[in-house]
Amino acid sequence: MTMMEPLAAMTTETQPALFSVRDLRLSFPDMAHKPLFGAAPRIEVLKGISFDIPTGQITGIVGESGSGKSTAGRVLVRLLEPDAGEVLLDGRDIAHLGEEEITPLRRDLQMIFQDPMSSLNPRHTVGHIIATPMKRYGRGGTREDAAAALVKVGLPAEFVSRYPHQLSGGQRQRVGIARAIALEPRFILADEIVSGLDVSSQAQVLELLKTLAQDMGITVAFISHDLSVIRHLCDHVIVLDHGEIVEQGPVQAVFDHPQSEITRTLLAAIPRPELDDSWFD
Amino acid sequence: MADATALPRARGPRSLNLRLWLPAAWLSLLALAALLAPFIAPHDPLAQDLLMERLPPFFMAGSEPGYWLGTDSLGRDVLSRMIYGARVALFVALIAATITCLFGSTLGLLAGYYGGWWDRVISRLVEIWMAFPPVLFAVLLVAVMGTGLFSVIAAIALIDWTRFARVIRAETMVQARMDYVDSARIGGANRLTTLAGEILPNVLPSIVALLMLEMGIAVIVEAILSFVNLSISTDDPTWGSMIAEGRGAIHFAWWVLLFPLIALFLTVLSFSTLGEGLKQRFDPVLQ
Amino acid sequence: MTKHRHTLDVVDLTIEIPNGMRLLRDVSLNLEPGEVRALVGESGAGKSMIGKAVLGILPSALKITSGEILMEGHNLGSLSPRARRAAVAETAALIPQDPLTALNPVRKIGPQITDPLVRIRGWSASEARKRALDLLDRVHIRAPERVMNSYPHELSGGMRQRVLIAAAFAPSPRLIVADEPTTALDVTVQKQILRLIRELQRETGTSVLFVTHDMGVVAKISQKVTVLFAGKVMEDAPTRDIFTDPGHPYTRALIAATPSHADPNRSFSPVPDSLIADLHRQIAQDDSLYRGARP
Repeated sequence: MTMMEPLAAMTTETQPALFSVRDLRLSFPDMAHKPLFGAAPRIEVLKGISFDIPTGQITGIVGESGSGKSTAGRVLVRLLEPDAGEVLLDGRDIAHLGEEEITPLRRDLQMIFQDPMSSLNPRHTVGHIIATPMKRYGRGGTREDAAAALVKVGLPAEFVSRYPHQLSGGQRQRVGIARAIALEPRFILADEIVSGLDVSSQAQVLELLKTLAQDMGITVAFISHDLSVIRHLCDHVIVLDHGEIVEQGPVQAVFDHPQSEITRTLLAAIPRPELDDSWFD
Repeated sequence: MADATALPRARGPRSLNLRLWLPAAWLSLLALAALLAPFIAPHDPLAQDLLMERLPPFFMAGSEPGYWLGTDSLGRDVLSRMIYGARVALFVALIAATITCLFGSTLGLLAGYYGGWWDRVISRLVEIWMAFPPVLFAVLLVAVMGTGLFSVIAAIALIDWTRFARVIRAETMVQARMDYVDSARIGGANRLTTLAGEILPNVLPSIVALLMLEMGIAVIVEAILSFVNLSISTDDPTWGSMIAEGRGAIHFAWWVLLFPLIALFLTVLSFSTLGEGLKQRFDPVLQ
Repeated sequence: MTKHRHTLDVVDLTIEIPNGMRLLRDVSLNLEPGEVRALVGESGAGKSMIGKAVLGILPSALKITSGEILMEGHNLGSLSPRARRAAVAETAALIPQDPLTALNPVRKIGPQITDPLVRIRGWSASEARKRALDLLDRVHIRAPERVMNSYPHELSGGMRQRVLIAAAFAPSPRLIVADEPTTALDVTVQKQILRLIRELQRETGTSVLFVTHDMGVVAKISQKVTVLFAGKVMEDAPTRDIFTDPGHPYTRALIAATPSHADPNRSFSPVPDSLIADLHRQIAQDDSLYRGARP
């Protein structure tokens, strides 16, 4: 399973894949079991996974907690460096680039975080949060630029002078999206971005992400444990379990004919908003 | 639980925060007195007059006009000596605490954010340092370097930087795990920019609170060292030396001891209260 | 009077913060013996607050300014604080939201389950221990002895939530307040936990007040539903009716906003801003009437 080739559907896309990941391995030291002297044993989080992220599409990465889905995402945007394997971005291996080499690439590799309360610095205004990366990459960064980014995500321009804690959860998450798209990146990693939101803002935020990604031609990797959301949003899906890929393919195919036990379990576990007496059986 | 966040923030009496303004008022008064000491002190703090010894303060029988808080056993004016004493206290507080804070906080930030090798070296150093008994350490230092204001300042900085290093390291480690740090790196910030531009503003309130606390501690340490005659020359008035001198006469001239003690108490209390107040004031979430 | 037949009656409950702003607005609901009632709403709707008020654990800044809470017919407001605590401890238990912070990290699991049994029920230590082992077995924990001897951090999130469910059911309460007990869990673990709560609830005939924001969970676990918005009851109806024929536009909007993978063509849609604005306008009118009516 670990050496599974990408599906034919992916390689026959008109455009080549933005990311090609090959045999990715990553482990963390297990500090809970560290002996008094000597190195801690390592926990394998990713056990040699290979997948493609097709250009201009939304790819869902799904799995239970501990499946390694967030870790895999963080390798793509190089917040983490893998132990082994290749992460090809346009054919160039970025897996082991140093800080100086990766920084220029970061403009193209943006991320939206799960918890907007913790990912927006409470000491900075919304305007500062959006404008600072823009200045860094010479893409404007005035108050007006930040305001324009806010308007693009459906927030009022005067929010530039607000602090994150003065916004609601849904509004904060829009600020997170505004910051990411302000740099006009080619890729956005969205890590469980709606799991902390109320249902009313969930649908809004997902719709916004989908529209912006289409309009701006941004490739998106969408990490979630909720297959309902994946089905509505994504073109492709990768199912992870304990650091291995158990299934990947077009959303339609995976949902209609799930091949792995874990996919079936995940599908069956979602409580749908409809009466169903047999759900628990 | 989610509902708790939706609670409208309690709107405290924003007009006058006494916890902030009372200590600020006392410290400003003290600073003013210290700055203008030569102009406002009613008497020369060193002028002895054995005919005027142990005069009681103004509200007691037998007091002399002009000697508001009485005189000591050498006939020196207590109020004037306290005003000049404030100069020493505040000077030491300001300089010693600032040096301590800069040194300790920098090490704390580096250890907390960079981790690894930085953290191992700095944390070991702190542990070793804290194994020395601090008072003995101070006395030894002053004994080696000689008495004087700068020895006192050096002693405070050398002993107390560990307090900043420990607290700021822990606080930085908490902040370093927040998503906004990763988010800054995604936004192209290098590590130093992230530390200075993202983490520092979040740790700053704790640094300010600690700085204020340290100023109070510096005042006390200076008083202790003057009490045991290890601060500046015995002639110069300091609160510590006044307390030491007043000790012998406590039964018949209690004012010589009590007034500098009150000043010391109020000053230390003001510094720590002000620190807490400023910390809350700085916090956009608590405001 | 038929009220005493209910396990719980909340009558016209209003809760305010010191500046007079209402967080709950005349909320009424009841629970019959053996019934599961879902209390559903978005954050800020006041759903957890009702649970806290019932258990008498409201933050001290919040005041009940009118209304009554009756537990098995006893008006809690008429009791002394001491008697009230005793009555609540005797009747009710809580399954909290966050299984990590709800357990004391420095104590073993065992005493955390058995202590309340000894204190409230007056059982002997060995009786309490037997009961705890029995309950841990009933929540499908394979090695109850070992879990009793573990510390919370040695267990996974799902295991900790099982322990808390066992602890809540152990003293045989007649009422359980479940405060978003599965929000912090994965969907697969959520399903197991919901199944457990349902199983134990059916066996013991305990009434459950189930606080949640997820209409999917509501559909699976409850027989009755109270839909809240901004501290006001929008709709109170049997679960069957809520999903076949929702009476209130807000209820319809909540259901429509919940994603369902079963029918990919039924796109899920946000709660319309115009509806939210309308509801807020009505509540503002209510509030000004309320303020006007006060002396």
